Amino acid sequence: MFGALYAAEGTDQTVLESVAREFSPRIEVCGPREITLDLSGLARLFGDARTIAHELRRTAADRGLRVRVAIAGTRTAARLFVQHRAGITVVEPGTEADALSALPLSLLSQPPTTNHQPPTTTLRQWGLRTLGEFAALPADEVAARLGPAGVEWQRMARGEDGRPLVAAVPEERFEQTLELEWPIDGLEPLSFVLGRLMEPLSAHLERRDRGAAVLHVRLHLVTRAVHERSLELPAPMRDARTLRTLALLDLESHPPDAAIDRITVAVDPTPGRVVQFSLLTRPLPPPEQLSTLAARLAALLGEGRCGSPELVDSWRPGAFAMKPFAPRDSNALHASTPRRHEDTERKNLDSLRASVSPWPIPVNGAASPTVVLRRFRIPIPARVREEDGRPVRVWIDRRGFSGGRVATAAGPWRTSGAWWEEGAVAPKPRSGEGGWDRDEWDVSLAGGATYRLFRERRAEAHSAKADTWFVEGVVD
Amino acid sequence: MANNALARIESALRERKLDRTLTSALAPLDRSDAAAFIPFGVEAIDGVLRGGLPRGQVSEIAGSPSSGRTTLLLQLLSAATRGGEITALVDTCDRLDVASAAAAAIDLDRLLWIRGESFDSLHSLRAIKALTLVLQAGGFAVVAIDLADVHPRVLKSLPFTTWLRLQRIVEGSDTACLLVTPEPLARSAGGLTVMCTGRTTWSAAQTQSGATQQTRHTHRVTGLETEIRVVSPRRRVDGAVRFTAVANDY
Repeated sequence: MFGALYAAEGTDQTVLESVAREFSPRIEVCGPREITLDLSGLARLFGDARTIAHELRRTAADRGLRVRVAIAGTRTAARLFVQHRAGITVVEPGTEADALSALPLSLLSQPPTTNHQPPTTTLRQWGLRTLGEFAALPADEVAARLGPAGVEWQRMARGEDGRPLVAAVPEERFEQTLELEWPIDGLEPLSFVLGRLMEPLSAHLERRDRGAAVLHVRLHLVTRAVHERSLELPAPMRDARTLRTLALLDLESHPPDAAIDRITVAVDPTPGRVVQFSLLTRPLPPPEQLSTLAARLAALLGEGRCGSPELVDSWRPGAFAMKPFAPRDSNALHASTPRRHEDTERKNLDSLRASVSPWPIPVNGAASPTVVLRRFRIPIPARVREEDGRPVRVWIDRRGFSGGRVATAAGPWRTSGAWWEEGAVAPKPRSGEGGWDRDEWDVSLAGGATYRLFRERRAEAHSAKADTWFVEGVVD
Repeated sequence: MANNALARIESALRERKLDRTLTSALAPLDRSDAAAFIPFGVEAIDGVLRGGLPRGQVSEIAGSPSSGRTTLLLQLLSAATRGGEITALVDTCDRLDVASAAAAAIDLDRLLWIRGESFDSLHSLRAIKALTLVLQAGGFAVVAIDLADVHPRVLKSLPFTTWLRLQRIVEGSDTACLLVTPEPLARSAGGLTVMCTGRTTWSAAQTQSGATQQTRHTHRVTGLETEIRVVSPRRRVDGAVRFTAVANDY
């Protein structure tokens, strides 16, 4: 037995859903103001169908909603009746087709249950006016003229369901809270408490086949302040020990100011991770392991000191960005092959051949080595003697760096940029901020080392005393 | 096609080439096994090193500035990442040029870059601790630490057991630990110690400029010629080898 609720315009959908959920956990939201619900078994609680319908309407009225209620043996019949009639409609199971037969044909286009709208104009031209007249037509003739969708509409006209009710799952909160009898101070006692909170949370996630995408830790302190930390996890995970370690490592870097009164741990759930291991490639470490490593490294070296480097779309010398280290699985690339034709097959076989080889074979053949620059993130000031506009001798006042006579020099290559940005008037070559305007030189010193130098042109113009020559890197 | 692929897999299984992907309980690597090495992807180098850098050992690349040690390091990382493995670089003095790394065809998504701050004693110790953490985590093909710009006095102040401890961590694993240093430090018996010497090569082109049409010689760095020599006492070598790195837009 199914029921349908149809509310007046301007109704709050969440209130309507809460009314429906009071009667059945299996509800389906069919439209902005329409809900169908499975009422099986409610007769023992409330009585017959009409009593249930009255009870539904009364409960809705208590919440300030005006609703139509229809109860029938099928969802489709209940939906058609609730669209057509105000108040309460109850149809005995098994009599849906007869009860629907007198209803107008236009109702078929009301519930958007099919992908295509029924051709009501064509049906009218056939002389059909009611659902009963349409339902009485021979199914094979309807299929010949309207296709498979025609048969589907005909079943709807008889009140038959095309598919079962798909119950909407209520949003579950994955959260655990613990009130402490005595405030705790320090991370060691906190680790035990976090472990106690994480285990049921992890079990809950496992039951629902969910993983944590974001981990929230809220610490209510004795000072009435709330210390809140959120960790974005690189992959859905639900291992209690990993989650506890990640939370602890983060709190180690960002400890609370005072003792803790109450602890709340919550996660933003996401569908669980499905891992398919490969026969042909070495497995990557699991994301839990990489996350723990990243957290340990961040605790040791500070935030933003580890990750994957990323090129940025900029001409600024040495520009780069960092992003979290999350290597993609090569299997995922194979799985996303769009079409399997001959070329793709050949490529797959090539990759297979490369994979079964114990040696890592470069994908695009053997690449020849390229010259590399060791870049000084903070350029080192240097003194340079020039003759005829070219550097002839370099002194680097920094331990471990040797200056000397310039054997070969190439340059200058003039570059400038970001001079249009605000505050770019004063270039800051040592911090890499602001605009830049400089002449670059590659110089090979008599000692054998090859450096890249640059002369900051605008710094030279602003102050005679300012450092104008810098060592940007060494060719290595 | 499918049958061919199946036949290849069966053949690989018979030759025990898939042993390293089918189990996590790995047997110790045998030196005669090609899978026990990570190649540099340069035929000349891999030839002289008998396959590349040994897994499960601490190896070293030593050399002075402009000797090609960083080129060699990035070449190794490039070959490993292009083979689908993941790598880590503990950059003690924060010297990695990301554009150079991209030009060396490193798959940057597969490189864990750990940036140090300074080359003093405290930060060097932190870098070694970070290296230890990465090695203990496992799963990386190459874990390298760049100590090339750390002052020799600081390096010498590190206890010698540091390198023994690193050796103990990587032993039996699939990871190759690599130190890039100004001079040999660890001198591991099982690993490689490679000395680099190099010089940049320049080109000269005659250009005429100015109203007087004066002829000027404009130079440009065209490459870096590097000679590598294995100096490990217990390692049989096939002599020194030279390779040239081509100057791109580094």
